[in-house]
This record gives sequence, structure tokens and C-alpha cells, in this order.
Amino acid sequence: MALLIKTENLWKTYDMGEAVAVQALRGVNLEIPRNEYAAIMGPSGSGKSTLMNLIGCLDTPTDGRYWLNEQLVSEMDDDQLAFIRNKEIGFVFQTFNLLPRATALHNVELPLIYNGTPAAERRERAAEALAAVDMADRVNHRPNELSGGERQRVAIARALVNRPSLLLADEPTGNLDSQTSAEIMNFLERLHNQGNTILLVTHEHDIAAHAHRIIKIRDGQIESDERTR
Amino acid sequence: MWREPVTIALAALRSHKLRSFLTLFGIIISVFTLIGVMSIIEGLNAYIAEKVANFGTNVFYVTRYPIITNAKDWLEAQRRNPKMTVEDMEYLQERMTLAEYVGAQDWREKDVRAGKESIDDVGIRGTTPTMVHISTEKVAAGRYIAESDYERRAMVAFVGTEVTERLFPTVDPLGKTIYIDGLPFEIVGVAERVGSVLGQTQDNFVFIPLTTLNKIWGEGPAFDTGPWIGIKCSSPDVMAQAMDEARTLMRARRRQKYDDKDAFGLIASESLTNLWDQIFGGIAAVAVGVVSVFLVVGGIVIMNIMLASVTERTREIGIRKSLGARRRDILLQFLVEASVLSTVGGLVGVLAALGATALVVATTPVPMRTPLGAVILSLAVSTAVGLFFGIYPAQKAARLDPVIALRAE
Repeated sequence: MALLIKTENLWKTYDMGEAVAVQALRGVNLEIPRNEYAAIMGPSGSGKSTLMNLIGCLDTPTDGRYWLNEQLVSEMDDDQLAFIRNKEIGFVFQTFNLLPRATALHNVELPLIYNGTPAAERRERAAEALAAVDMADRVNHRPNELSGGERQRVAIARALVNRPSLLLADEPTGNLDSQTSAEIMNFLERLHNQGNTILLVTHEHDIAAHAHRIIKIRDGQIESDERTR
Repeated sequence: MWREPVTIALAALRSHKLRSFLTLFGIIISVFTLIGVMSIIEGLNAYIAEKVANFGTNVFYVTRYPIITNAKDWLEAQRRNPKMTVEDMEYLQERMTLAEYVGAQDWREKDVRAGKESIDDVGIRGTTPTMVHISTEKVAAGRYIAESDYERRAMVAFVGTEVTERLFPTVDPLGKTIYIDGLPFEIVGVAERVGSVLGQTQDNFVFIPLTTLNKIWGEGPAFDTGPWIGIKCSSPDVMAQAMDEARTLMRARRRQKYDDKDAFGLIASESLTNLWDQIFGGIAAVAVGVVSVFLVVGGIVIMNIMLASVTERTREIGIRKSLGARRRDILLQFLVEASVLSTVGGLVGVLAALGATALVVATTPVPMRTPLGAVILSLAVSTAVGLFFGIYPAQKAARLDPVIALRAE
């Protein structure tokens, strides 16, 4: 099976000045094939956020190489990374990260704006994506008019609207009650069944349990990597 | 791509009306001043061309002094240029081939009385009969100063409406007697109303024959200019040639050498409007300086508010970057926002200036006219100011690290 993610000896060092350097990642080797549903777990300070930022192409490694969908993204510049984020990655954040002044529809349209999709097609695809997360009747609501679960569903619609190869969910249920969390996790399960590759970042065991593979990070290295289903 | 930042900027303006007004105050004031000054200059220019410097069509004057704007030239001209005389006029009248009419006029200021009514310091103009074709005053009733009046040095007067209205408010002034400096003159004609310039009436005059003027009051002191010689050409095409002819004749009469400066002046409407243009050019330069300072201040305020906006919206920038916005997308967004802000300021300034202009025109005699160019220029300049002062905040936004930006509160 073709690999979606392949990292080779990833290092990330933060220079804190005064000759103090923090080694957030210390040689991470990771392979994730297509249509995987994996969770990255680890306590705070373990380096899992750093790893997520690297995988999400929000940041570049200090050393090592990273291929996403057979493209060597560790060598790319800012604008190329922006292009990869737009095309290959859908983010779902703990805090939803919707634009507060924009409607649900406009929020979902954003990735399409940045790849130059014509306005009419943009609206149509954004509306479709919202319908797919059962939000068709809420397209013109602003985030503050939506519940937490609804906001996260808008965020999922936004993450998927550009048909990315990777859905990167960073603590997607961290701000939700347990019932809504279950609902969102069901959505992710369904998306996985539809063929999406999902990488879940969490520190909660019962959330990570939804994934089919659990990768544990500690002190900037992979501590364990096991298939659970 | 364009619509979004425009919408955001307009929404921000709407939701913080007072803050927006304060932010844009500098731009508003700049544009207001710019358009105000340009409107006054344009209005006065048109006004002067039409009312002050309008000698009539195809007319120029030969005078003792040309238009002089500095003291040194003035002293030289006073030494060099002899006072004009009626003989100078006759000399030109006999020899000029391109002149249709040649005339002369000279001025005194005297009190005018009729019955118990009197007016102080009326402009008394001694004129040749030909001036009816040369100067702009028209006959409304009766007649102008006639050839026979001129030859006989008759005690007759052709008067402006201000004089008739004040001295003869209820009766027909024709044939009535007025006393100029105590001497009786018969009114033979009344002029058409000229109107006022900057609130000053232009109808407070009495014309009498130039010969009569010189007979009664003499030719005036040596420092006086003497009469102005008016020359009307048959068509605008020969104006330049006619002015050359007059110059050549006058130089010959003054026995001037080839490289001497003219010992007389030639003045056409154009030379007066040019003088005004010079004066207004000075005013405009000062205004441009003041406006530039305002604009810089306005621009800095916009830069400040944009920097605050970038800080306030760091997280939004992070979100946009995570969704694939490149540096130039963010840069463009904030540049468009800054220029929309400043353009709105420019628009408000334009509207305020147009309103003020309309008010001034409606309530005062100050002539104002807003040139379209001024409106276009101010809008262009205000947009440019927003663009320029938006560059730094926009670059700051564009360079934000997405990871750090996403972490912002």
C-alpha cells in the first residue's frame, strides 16, 4: 500500500536564546499508509504538538526529511507549504478556529478562495460539504449562533471541502461535552469508512481508542506504535 | 479575492463609527482642505477671467507700466517710462493699421452730489468716445460720451446704476444734473448694470469726456500713470500682430534702442490672468504643503490602526494560513483593507468639501467652483496614502509564523 506520510529521522530544535536549545523532536521515523485511522498520544511537552505541526506543514523540521503524498515537503518554502496545506491537509482544531465574523458557508469557502476556485463553484461545493455534516440548514449562521458540536462540524466541512489526502484532527473533542464528543467521533469514523486518512492528536485514551493505530510519543521520540484493530 | 477584504474593511468601519471617524480624521481634513483650496482657486480664476481681467474681446491696453511684481523692476520702470499722454493715443490712432478702435481713459476719484444726496469717492473716468467699443460698459439708456462732447469738453456724464439708484432713486436720471467736485454735469446716458466683484459693486462710476477731465483737474501729478490707451482689434487672429505693431510704434515714439526695455506697458486680459495664476500658484503650493503634512499624519494613524488590527487578528491570520493562504494573500488582504479605509476617508472629505462649497456659494459672494480633477486627485491620493501606510502592517501580517499565529488568543 502506498504511503501517505513518511518521515525520516525528524528533529526539531527550538533555539530559546542564551545558548539554550529545546529538542522537541529527536529523530522521529513514522510511516502512515493511505486510509489509516491513527492517533498520536502523549503528555504535554512530549513533542506531539510539534510533530503535528510538522505533519500539518505548518512548520519545517530542523533536520530529517518528510514526504507527504510522495512530495518532499521538508525542503519547501513558505508559499509551497501554503499550497500543500491547502491541497493535501484538512485541519480540525480543538478550538474550532472558525472566523467569528463570517458565516458557516463563508468559513467553509475559505480553502477554495485560496486555491482560486470560481465563486459559483465555491458556494456550491461549500454548501455540499456542509450538507455532508448535516449542517445544510445552518449555512448562514455565524459561529456564535452555533453550538460547540455544530461549530466542530462546520470545521470538519471546511477541512474536507478541498478533498484533502489527510485529515489532521488536533484534540477535536477537547472543548466538547461527552455526548457531542461521541457524535464528532462517529463523524470521523464515518469519514474513515469513506476512505479518508485520519490522524488524531489527543491525550485522552477513550478518544484515541476510536483510532485503529495508536502512536505514543514521549520526550520527542516514538515510545510505542501499535495497531489496535 | 478582492471582495472579501473590502467587505471586512467596510464592516469594521460600520461597527466602530466613532473610532473610524477618528482614524480617518487626518485623511478627511486633508481632502477637505485640498478640495476647498482648489475650489476657491478655480472659482476665483473663473471669476477673474470673467469679471476682473475681462477687458473685452480682442482688446489690449498700452500703459505707462507693464505688470510688475518686484520692487527693483518697479524703480527702474519709474525712471524709464514717461507718463502716458493723450498725444500718445493720437499717435497710435493715426499710425496703427491693425487697430479697429483706439481710445483712452484716465481716472480721478471725486465726490458726486445731486440735491441733498451725495456719494464720496466715486470713480470718475475721463474717456474718449471710441471707448464705447473698447471697454465693457454698455449703454442701457441715453447715449455714451459723443465725439462732439469730447471736442467741446462738454460737461456731460454717462453714469453707472449705483450712482443713479442712490442719487435718483425715484425719477428718470436722464437730463438731470449731478455735481462732481461741485461742478454741474448733465447725465446723458446710464450704463447697464455690471454687478459686483467679491461683494464690491462695479457700478459706482461716472464717465465724462477725457478732455473735460483734463481741463478741470489737469493731467495729474508726475507719478501718475496718465491715461490708459485701449486698442481693439478686428479679430483674435491679429491680436499678437497688433500688439507687436503697437510696441514697435511706441518704441519708435520713445526713440528706444534695439536692446532697451520697453518704456511702456502692454497689458491684455491674458497678462492679468497670468498674474493671478502666479499668485494662486503660490497659494496652491502652500496648500499642497499643508495638505501633505495632514496626509502623512492621517497615514500614520491608519498605519497605527492597521497594526492594532493585525495584532487583534493574529489568530485569524493563523487560521487563514493553515487553510492555504500564502504571504501575498494576507498582504493583499491588509493592503486592500487599509486602502478601503483611507478611500472612505477621502470620500467623506470630498462630500464634506462639496457640502461646504455649496454652502459658501449660497451664503457669501466668494466664488467657489470644484474642479472634477480635484475630486479625482483627492480620491487617488487618499487611496495611495492607505496603500503606502498599509504596507508595513500588511507585511507584518504576511510574515507571521502560522504556528505562533494559531496559538494567539
